[in-house]
Amino acid sequence: MEKHYAVCPYCGAGCKLNLCVEDGKVVKAEALDGITNQGELCLKGLEGFDFINDTKILTPRITHPMMRRTKDAPLERVTWDEALDFVATKLSEIKAKYGPDSIMLTGSSRGPGNEANYVMQKFTRACIGTNNIDNCART
Amino acid sequence: MSVSIPGLEDAGCIMLFGYNPAASHPIVARRIVRAKQKGAKIIVIDPRYIETARIADIYIRINNGSNIAFLNAFANACVEGGYIDKEFIEEHTTGFDAWYETIKKYTPENTQKITGVDPATLRAAAKMYATSETGSVLGYGMGVCQQLQNVETVHTIASLACVTHNIGRPNSGVAPVRGQNNVQGSCDMGMLPNMYPGYQKVTDPKVREKFAKAWGVPVEKLSDHIGYRLTDVGENAAAGKVHAFYNFGEDPLQTEPDADELKKQLQGLDLLICQDIFMTQTCEIADVILPGTSWGEHDGVFSASDRTFQRFTAAVPPKGECRHDWQIFSEISTRMGYPMHYENTKEIWDEMRSLCPNFYGATYEKMEGLGYAQWPITSTDPDDHGTPTLFLGGTFTTPDHKAHLMAHDWEHPTELPDEDYPLILCTVREVGHYSCRSMTGNCKALSVLADEPGFIQIHPEDAAARGIEDGQIVRAWSRRGETYTRAHLNPRINKGTVYMTYQWWVGKCNRLTLHHTDNRSHTPEDKFSACNVEAIADQTWAEKHVAKEYAELKGRLADEAAAQEVAPKGEPVLA
Repeated sequence: MEKHYAVCPYCGAGCKLNLCVEDGKVVKAEALDGITNQGELCLKGLEGFDFINDTKILTPRITHPMMRRTKDAPLERVTWDEALDFVATKLSEIKAKYGPDSIMLTGSSRGPGNEANYVMQKFTRACIGTNNIDNCART
Repeated sequence: MSVSIPGLEDAGCIMLFGYNPAASHPIVARRIVRAKQKGAKIIVIDPRYIETARIADIYIRINNGSNIAFLNAFANACVEGGYIDKEFIEEHTTGFDAWYETIKKYTPENTQKITGVDPATLRAAAKMYATSETGSVLGYGMGVCQQLQNVETVHTIASLACVTHNIGRPNSGVAPVRGQNNVQGSCDMGMLPNMYPGYQKVTDPKVREKFAKAWGVPVEKLSDHIGYRLTDVGENAAAGKVHAFYNFGEDPLQTEPDADELKKQLQGLDLLICQDIFMTQTCEIADVILPGTSWGEHDGVFSASDRTFQRFTAAVPPKGECRHDWQIFSEISTRMGYPMHYENTKEIWDEMRSLCPNFYGATYEKMEGLGYAQWPITSTDPDDHGTPTLFLGGTFTTPDHKAHLMAHDWEHPTELPDEDYPLILCTVREVGHYSCRSMTGNCKALSVLADEPGFIQIHPEDAAARGIEDGQIVRAWSRRGETYTRAHLNPRINKGTVYMTYQWWVGKCNRLTLHHTDNRSHTPEDKFSACNVEAIADQTWAEKHVAKEYAELKGRLADEAAAQEVAPKGEPVLA
């Protein structure tokens, strides 16, 4: 069984754990002796890993880019190039028409991590040219 | 947190105010149990008899919405009892006289009507907190922050810690514990409309010059004013100020107040982009959905509540065509004329460190395996793990290095109960589910513990008056909307209040909550709004109705996501 160290993605206690992988699937979480958790995990830390495997118990994972032709049209799968071109074109148009402060962006305080957030705020500030970036610290 | 999570167990006294660690942070709650075992005194002040109250030396049941009145009286009792540290106040604080002008108006006696707290118990708690020889930690949570007077309450808590010298020495301080695993990290990384990474102000020209130079953009390109807050996105969209919303890893239609109104506001946007790992209710109304990789599929660093950076690693490859979030942002940025390219997360982290002096010593090498780095950390010396306790010696981060004492008058919450809406609604957390539930709701073991339509905690007397029995489905409604949920009769809450957790999609508390934010922090008043609850006579109908709503919602999201099973037809959508 392969083991990869991680930090729990739920509350802010920073509990260190191993994700145990079998046949390409995460099958178990086991506590590590981290500075904050000392070999302990709570219910969510122990049992909260299998969403990665796309269990579809509540709602499916998103695995491909999708978009709508018009506001009311159903979603369609598109290629990455098409999705990225669409987003870049639309954001550029909106920025040109209404200014950079007409675009609002968020960070994510859950699984993505600090590096993803750093790049998102750099994109917001250096490329879009606004400080309209915020996270869910208030809720 | 000015203190560290491990350090909690060495405090002489831990006082919890509007914070329920057993539900929100079980592993932090464990430290409080350990502290108790090591001889610490425990004080719990909360409208609910929370789990930690069971091991408390003093438990104080406070009326909902009375925080400032209580804390002012508490500070008053500290002055009156002679528990303040005059030398520390003189040398390390400013504004004591003005602070006391406000505090002296609030006595344990004259605030009893507002707080419901017996003056003798309040005085005993004040003495216990203020006179601990080892040092006291004041832990608080959303019970402070999601109130009308949230910022004022934080000022009052910090001032209380200062005047009693329970900050600026070991084993003492203030401990706001963060809800999401990386909300501390989002703030550290400048996902804030007023701060660059490392808490460097966007309004400071020197800061902008530094970032402009590092990022290779003209300084004029960097906005010199504070941006919009996330909690205002709906109103800003409705007012025509915001035309595009790039929503990354959030599900505001589940987690933000007055969700029905927010949905209408977001539907009016020119462009809504959702970058997520799950088909959420917010993704359902998106124009574009971008699949990011999940936790477990990428590397990175998280910041724990006590400022501890730790690394996490990928365990399995990305599903389908999922890409790392930072790759997606870089590709869009490049297409928009600002090229960005990174090989891996270490390269990003090192760029970030080079721009944030307080994080500079947090190298990837130091955080290998079980390693960690707690900011502020300036040295890259492998043996330096940073700063467990802030402000030691009474040196603060203000320009004069002194603490500025602040006191405020109490104001009543925005929406008081009345004849039509006689119950106070407070939103809280539960141990088995998390945030918008897209993650925990997809975990087998957690999903069998509890399911829709979730629960509303109601006092047995309020339930009896309405003919509601434990476990029955009830209708709950406010001026904003209505929902069906299951009654959980709970004598541990104040009569006249009900509590809902925000995990439930059918029993959605945010259809009821008030969207009112304060002027300073723009945090919604999720802990206090008015509602009503009624029994449903036909429980068979109610059970079927809830099951149908749940099945329809899940079916709709599954149908939307099914589009991804059909390969692109070749003809570009954007012709």
